[in-house]
Amino acid sequence: MVAAANSRVTVITGGGSGMGRATAIQLARRGDLVCICDFKEDGVKATAALIESAASRRREPAQVKAWIVEVIGKFGKIDCLFSNAGVNARSTVANMTLDQWTLLIDTHVTGSFNFCQAALRDMVTRKSGAIVITSSDFAIVGVPNAANYCAAKTALYSLTKSLALEFAPHGIRVNAIGPGPIDTPLLRAGRTAEEFDNARKAFESRLPIKRLGQPEEVAAVVDFLLSDRATFITGQLIQPNGGQVMW
Amino acid sequence: MTENNEHQGRIAVITGGSGGIGGAIARRLCDEDAIVHVLDTKESALAAVGYRQVDVSDEAAVDAAFGAIGKIADKIDYLVCCAGIYRPKPFLELSLEDWRQTLQINLTGYFLCCRAALRFMRPQKFGRIVMFSSMIARTGGIEVGHYAASKGGILGLARALAVESAAENIRVNTISPTITDTPLPRAVLSDEVMQSRKAHIPLARIGDVQDMTEACMFLLSGDSSYMLGQDLRVNGGSTLW
Repeated sequence: MVAAANSRVTVITGGGSGMGRATAIQLARRGDLVCICDFKEDGVKATAALIESAASRRREPAQVKAWIVEVIGKFGKIDCLFSNAGVNARSTVANMTLDQWTLLIDTHVTGSFNFCQAALRDMVTRKSGAIVITSSDFAIVGVPNAANYCAAKTALYSLTKSLALEFAPHGIRVNAIGPGPIDTPLLRAGRTAEEFDNARKAFESRLPIKRLGQPEEVAAVVDFLLSDRATFITGQLIQPNGGQVMW
Repeated sequence: MTENNEHQGRIAVITGGSGGIGGAIARRLCDEDAIVHVLDTKESALAAVGYRQVDVSDEAAVDAAFGAIGKIADKIDYLVCCAGIYRPKPFLELSLEDWRQTLQINLTGYFLCCRAALRFMRPQKFGRIVMFSSMIARTGGIEVGHYAASKGGILGLARALAVESAAENIRVNTISPTITDTPLPRAVLSDEVMQSRKAHIPLARIGDVQDMTEACMFLLSGDSSYMLGQDLRVNGGSTLW
């Protein structure tokens, strides 16, 4: 077992790109032992290479729940989990296939449940831990052509609140983030270059801050929530969203 | 990741900066080499801050204080609004004067200070404003109709100001604590009542000024660069919305 007594061990799902990658890099710079996974192997390898150059020590690609057991086996513990893996499949409800629906619910909700449950089993034994789950502004407001995404993200917010209450007595904090439009591969997915450009302009004119967010701006919020700076914050949805939703 | 010393040399104004939460934030900003000015009706215990005796509900006094502070370096970078009163009273016993006094200090005071600070922030295209609201704005409470109204008003004020000022690189956010262990609630609540509140807090402790200071520093810093109009609920999980 690799001794990790002086380092936090942090697991990041969806670490292959976007907000997961930016968070992996930031936490690795802080000195965390960062373990990432992603269903896209090239992404996870690329992030791992970046973490190496950012002076961290460890990464591990995998895509199943058993991986958590492997991580604990290797590093002895999990201090922090950033449950962030997400996909999108845009469609009107009228044209949405059951596969498109199930893909989003399974990836976001069931996937997050699996990772949280596995990590929490370890955290409970040490009465310590922090989790951040990537929800969305769309947990609060809806948007057309994304009923599956909105349902999944709202479910994640609900999961966050339930976990926060259930594990507060164990000294474990669970929060959600509700990012606004962040310039990530996922925001571009399913859109042609022209469609993305139009979407970006629409976001920029509608957002009070008049620009898309950068993955690093989300990473800084995740870093805060996982840290000792936020020891009295649990069960909350924190929204780095450029003012898209205020409630 | 936040640059080291990002607060160095920033001109910060803290209303209620002699109190529990405001005082802790003032001390922390001094430690981070910001230039700290405290507006309060009672004297600051900190030697390093510039103290001005100001009633935040007094328009002329607020304008004069901010004008004088702003002139020193021709800027004001941070405004932290903490000045407030908490005087619980049964609803039918609330006089119009009670109501006005709480609204005047807790809400109108925030408006006056924000307006005065923005006169400097707007032309310099930089500003960070953090306003302290309260979970009572959402949850209500017994004998706090006037206080709840004032704290709810702060949330509306902050959102409006956030939208209006975002394009000028001025970020406005709020913090909603639950009961925090400071002289303010201790003046009206017994030790026993304070302790009993723990039972309603999932993390099983009363919040302290350190919790509020960390939240405030986060909102003042570049770590929250994509957050505006948001309410950070630092409450140990006692209310989840």
